[in-house]
Amino acid sequence: MTKIALKNTGFYSESPRSGILGWLLSTDHKRIGIMYLFCIVTMFLVAVCLGLALRLELIAPGPTIMGPQTYNATFTVHGIIMIFLVIIPSIPAAFGNLVLPIQIGARDVSFPKLNLLSWYCYIIGAVLAVIAIFSGGGAPDTGWTFYVPFSTQTTTNVNMAVTGALMLGFSSMLTGINFVTTIHRLRAEGMGWGRLPIFIWTLYSTAWIQVLATPMLGITLILIVLERVFGAGLFDAARGGDPILYQHLFWIYSHPAVYIMILPGMGVISEIIPTFSRKPLFGYWAMAISSLAIAFAGSLVWAHHMYASGMSDFAILIFSFLTFIVAIPSAIKIFNWVSTLYKGSIQLAPPMLHALAFIFNFAIGGLGGLALGAAASDIHLHDTTFVVGHFHYTMFGGTGFAFFAALHYWLPKFTGRMYSHKPAVIAWALLFVGFNVTYMAMQAVGIQGMPRRYYDYLPEFQTLNVVATVGSWVLAVGLIMMFVNLWNGIRKGTPVGKNPWGSATLEWSIPSPPPLENFGEKDPVVTKGPYDYKGVIADEY
Amino acid sequence: MNQLNNPTAQAVDNVLIYIFGFSLILLLGITVVTVYFVVKYRRSKYPEPTSQVHGSWLLETIWTVLPILIVLTMFWYGWTNYVGLREIPEGALEVKATARMWSWQFEYPDGRKESKLYVPVNQPIKVLLFSTDVLHSFFVPAFRIKRDTVPGMESYVWFQAPEPGSYDIFCAEYCGVGHADMTTSVEVLSEADYAQWLQPLEPSATPRGLVVLDEQGCLSCHSLDGTDGIGPSLFEMAGQPRQVTINRESKELIIDEEYLKLAIRDPEAEMVDGYNPMMPPYDEATINNEDLQAVVNYLMGKAEAAKTPSAGAQLMDENGCLGCHSTDGSDGIAPSFKGIGQREVTIERDGKEITVKIDVEYLRRALLKPNADLVKGYSPIMPSADYLSPEEIDAMIQHLLQQ
Ligand code: HEM
Ligand SMILES: [Cu+2]
Ligand SMILES: [Cu+2]
Repeated sequence: MTKIALKNTGFYSESPRSGILGWLLSTDHKRIGIMYLFCIVTMFLVAVCLGLALRLELIAPGPTIMGPQTYNATFTVHGIIMIFLVIIPSIPAAFGNLVLPIQIGARDVSFPKLNLLSWYCYIIGAVLAVIAIFSGGGAPDTGWTFYVPFSTQTTTNVNMAVTGALMLGFSSMLTGINFVTTIHRLRAEGMGWGRLPIFIWTLYSTAWIQVLATPMLGITLILIVLERVFGAGLFDAARGGDPILYQHLFWIYSHPAVYIMILPGMGVISEIIPTFSRKPLFGYWAMAISSLAIAFAGSLVWAHHMYASGMSDFAILIFSFLTFIVAIPSAIKIFNWVSTLYKGSIQLAPPMLHALAFIFNFAIGGLGGLALGAAASDIHLHDTTFVVGHFHYTMFGGTGFAFFAALHYWLPKFTGRMYSHKPAVIAWALLFVGFNVTYMAMQAVGIQGMPRRYYDYLPEFQTLNVVATVGSWVLAVGLIMMFVNLWNGIRKGTPVGKNPWGSATLEWSIPSPPPLENFGEKDPVVTKGPYDYKGVIADEY
Repeated sequence: MNQLNNPTAQAVDNVLIYIFGFSLILLLGITVVTVYFVVKYRRSKYPEPTSQVHGSWLLETIWTVLPILIVLTMFWYGWTNYVGLREIPEGALEVKATARMWSWQFEYPDGRKESKLYVPVNQPIKVLLFSTDVLHSFFVPAFRIKRDTVPGMESYVWFQAPEPGSYDIFCAEYCGVGHADMTTSVEVLSEADYAQWLQPLEPSATPRGLVVLDEQGCLSCHSLDGTDGIGPSLFEMAGQPRQVTINRESKELIIDEEYLKLAIRDPEAEMVDGYNPMMPPYDEATINNEDLQAVVNYLMGKAEAAKTPSAGAQLMDENGCLGCHSTDGSDGIAPSFKGIGQREVTIERDGKEITVKIDVEYLRRALLKPNADLVKGYSPIMPSADYLSPEEIDAMIQHLLQQ
């Protein structure tokens, strides 16, 4: 492929400062978005390698490539990186920053300096997390849940890891505040609430959870440090404390956090399905309201992680009931996406393939959640590899695939170049197959009774573990292929025009890559809905 | 997944089948419709959409109300069957289970302690759950029961086994390095076997010291055969040097009775270099002075010989030892057992050839790590007997020494 120079380089060549400082001190939402994207993908690749190492260890019973302590540290670090450094910021911080202001017709977010500060909080958190692995008493070995009393007793470097997570919490809160304000204050003329793309509605719901729930995480993490350093005794049964109290505090944040992880992904899918069907999203208001409903109801179900913990049976009754209620808005979303396809004009471009894979994976993850929400069946499945399979289905099969969909959908907009489609489709197929083989096998071996966080297991669990490990290799090949192809696309892909997919939202009406202030001299005026494709023509590329 | 016909498993499985059944139907429905639409309305056939519908009140109401009804049945079914897991039938036998890093101890109403859960068939069993350190979780997949053990709190599970057999117990709540190895089993005995098991043990065939080591879970961190573990191995300790840290100073001492007693009563007072301070102290309430002396005697190699080595003969028979080892002095695949207690052997240890006198410690290592010290002239093919309990190993050793 010969490289064709871009005619327009947009915000890449417009900056008050030049060179690396033009990035590190930039308050432009697009530059900050690109910096997040770069860090998140890097951390993702690191944590994927750790995940593959875990799977390799599990290919046979007994120590295969590592002993128990290394395994425990590896799943802890894998979990912490994936949750706090990858999935939580993945779509909101990276694509939210890139896309949100343009989609509502704004020139930037409300507080650009605060936006840069949250990026620095992210970086400090990431650096602390990495230092925690290599210093002190060794890499943390508590699991990403930091359950007491184990986490207050272990000699590994928990204090540093917890401080890192605290900084990441700040980053997330600041981004949330910024997005809520931006959506309220900076919508362009004509951009009423009924014309907001669903992606904006999901970012809005997410931002509220970020603002309201994350302080809980901060408090909980600080309490762990108080417990470890000063022996505060809040969670120590011998001194009148309560270890179960910790679990409530932890999940009051961390359950809503799973909606921070999934909602923006649902938003991405709600942009892609209409675009590649050339049809309005089915049930716009149901989609918008169900996002808010998920954010609200999702804050009331935290103790469904604790049916086996020793909590009272009455609490189990209540939390099981609420958990089933929160399943409804997700089901509505799935039905509406599928109905959008009806009588459309469907193009299976790479973003669309990833979006369809999202629907399938997320359906499996959500349906598996029903078995975990019912009290009796959860008693058997809780803390087995079924749970590990389940949350990978929602977070990786769901949010992960939505992130890949977003990469394939928006990278051409922000780099001005198109990747090649054939390798993208092959990579997608490998990812889809590898993903399902790996995690379906993990769910199955969990139903048989294999507990999670086991580096060693009984011989009867081996067959399915081998299947899962082989699946993870297919997955790995798919990931390599996808990222290499995207990288090649960024560097020397064919230049694209404003609107390669024929989308109707505002970001596709300005040049690719967009200029510094997005909209040139005149502020945009919005006259039609986000999914109104009449007269919209896709540019050739 | 076995043992479907016990009450707790049935309660859980019915809910699982109900929910998974519905889920499968829904998943198939969604997938088939999606694939059908994607194929039928592909762009090559329909360059422009043939509908611009924005929604449908009727459809959207249906697919909001219908799922609500379905999930409410799931919720209710799951709850009522869960109640069955909490209500214990009358006449249950109560056994106290204590979890500690990283082993289980079961205590019977008469004070008897075991590392496996022996129960009679067809009787409801109530297991009271305790923890001495961090969270653990008592999980028996065959009965679909699971409950955390929480320090400072008592909880319980119950089950009833309709058939004799052995069922795995796992620790399901993450608890540190030994988590995956914190496994033991429920041994369901027939009425006759249980009655026999209930008989008081013959005046201990096993040295008291070893019984205590086993009951207290010491062996989950310390091996008896020289393998390094979470804690240092208890293999051949008497008179050995140890590098320990006392008051932040590292110095070498020789293992003696005093050292061992302090190491048990107050482990952090003398930390062996290279290990983490995670061993709990065992006070008099846990191991009384008499038992402490028995443990120390055992570790110093002064344990009195077992009185009934005949069990050892049976074990060797059952485990197929005699397939390779003869008892009449004839040479086979492996050295003969005849006169093994009086012999010296030449072995290869750490690449060097040395000649040692065969004693209890030597034999224990030979059984548990057969290929670590290789007897000259033989190949490393013997399987380890580490699936046997320490008591069984000891019975075999006592038997061998008398050959
Ligand atoms: C190639 C990709 C991946 C592989 C092969 C993989 C594999 C694994 C394995 C084997 C475990 C440990 C299970 C156990 O021992 O119980 C694990 C845990 C975990 N994974 Fe992944 N994973 C991958 C991607 C992801 C992604 C994308 C996420 C995103 C959120 C994620 C989040 C987690 C979390 C939170 C844990 C739990 C850690 C803990 O128990 O504390 N993983 N993964
Ligand atoms: Cu949750
Ligand atoms: Cu455990």
